[in-house]
Amino acid sequence: MTRTQIILTRLVLLGLVVATWELLPRLGFVNPRLLPPLSDVLTMLGQLLGRAQVQEAIWVTAAEVIVAFMIAVPLGAAIGVLIAENDYVGDIFRPMLFYVFSIPKSIFLPMFILIFGIGFGQKVAYAAFSTTFVVIMSAAAAVESVKADHILVARSYGATRGQILTRVYVPSMLPVLLETLRISMIFNFTGVMIAEMYASRTGIGHLIANWGENFQMRQLFAGVILLAVVAILFNEAVRYLESRCSTWRA
Amino acid sequence: MPLRWPAPSTMRWLILATLLVFWELMPRTKIVPELFLPSLSKTLAVLYSDRLEYVEALGVTLYEVAIAMLFACGAGILMGALGGGVALLRNLLLPVFSSLYAVPIVILYPIFTAWLGVGSESKIAFAGVYGFFPVMLSTAAGIRTIDPQYVLAARSMGATLSQQITRVVIPASIPTVLTGLRLGGALTIIGVVVAEMLTSAAGIGYLVTRYRTILDSPRVFAAILMILVLSVMFDVLARGLERRTLAWQTAGRRPRRSREIMQAVPAGAPA
Repeated sequence: MTRTQIILTRLVLLGLVVATWELLPRLGFVNPRLLPPLSDVLTMLGQLLGRAQVQEAIWVTAAEVIVAFMIAVPLGAAIGVLIAENDYVGDIFRPMLFYVFSIPKSIFLPMFILIFGIGFGQKVAYAAFSTTFVVIMSAAAAVESVKADHILVARSYGATRGQILTRVYVPSMLPVLLETLRISMIFNFTGVMIAEMYASRTGIGHLIANWGENFQMRQLFAGVILLAVVAILFNEAVRYLESRCSTWRA
Repeated sequence: MPLRWPAPSTMRWLILATLLVFWELMPRTKIVPELFLPSLSKTLAVLYSDRLEYVEALGVTLYEVAIAMLFACGAGILMGALGGGVALLRNLLLPVFSSLYAVPIVILYPIFTAWLGVGSESKIAFAGVYGFFPVMLSTAAGIRTIDPQYVLAARSMGATLSQQITRVVIPASIPTVLTGLRLGGALTIIGVVVAEMLTSAAGIGYLVTRYRTILDSPRVFAAILMILVLSVMFDVLARGLERRTLAWQTAGRRPRRSREIMQAVPAGAPA
């Protein structure tokens, strides 16, 4: 299939999903109270975006996501580089990270609530905590993706440490670093959402949980669509940069 | 060398032991308030005295995990194999699925509770969806790592399509499937626990939330400890199974490096 055909087929599939969502409740195949028609949901989304309460929640959530991201990424990257560069530290911690991945981080939420209370600090701390591990992992992977041969060549031509860093490490690591940022953002966003849904007074996650409890399905679906669209757009933007960066990389 | 560092594995046990000692001593010496972190001995004592309640909750959680795992791994491996193996589906749908993966799935949980109630069904549905995407993506990626030379060799020796599938593709994809099972299991455990913590009336995650709201820290930590042991035990078991089945395939290979771990866990398990 050519590229245009693929895009066309995808659009048709998307159209089918949209049509099903709209028609099933309209024609009475499913209860519109359980699945409101898409058009109703989108109208509701428009109304919600105009409400001051929702706008405030969006800003709170955005601030939490950004601050947590700015804490988790440098911290995780520093530890990740240490693990990749120092064999001894790496041998100790790499197998441990295996287990950390399989542990639900959310079970530590009660600790964060006890220590930080229910507020901005707790959400940021939990999201940063749940993101740091994946940053460690991908940062270590980024450092290891630098080919030893390239470093050897640079060194034999008399490159200084600084030159090796800027001319070999950074260019080789760039695509993986972007991937790291993208994946950490997924984790970070999820972390903030869980924290807000679990115990919070504000934020989009809190609103979504509330709408669900009060059976306000139109609001709930509108919120889900909003978050999904934002997450997908960010992800695709970084992926686009990634593909731009890897074209010249063998 | 004046100072010899202990072997990495010894060091790991030392770190674990130090953590446990700190867990016991920090609250006892009042450096950390008991409310934030009750001592290990107190947690274990509570776990023992309330063992009936905890075992019952564990039963509920395990039941939900088992059913959700069935869905997540079954559908995930099947769809992943199709998506990875059939070029048409691969080009058409895989990029769409990996875009969808960016959406924090936890925001769907209120929909599941509104549709299915607060019982086990909503947890199973949520954890099933939660585990499905990564299992599918990792299976699809794994299927594509099968060396095309194998299939080519089989075909040139006159193997029929069904022989190619049963004798070449299936044996070659066992590692991928096992990784998918491990990943799916770990993720469904996480999904069930998260769901139970958010809205439910039974299970270990529910105990965490219930005792947190009444500030009964030892009982919160008893539940946390149980979940930790559960997920680490699952990981050890699954990894052991993988090693046993794959001894002949990975023999002589270098130990896995971070990059391979990342690929085995495509973006892993948020939450």
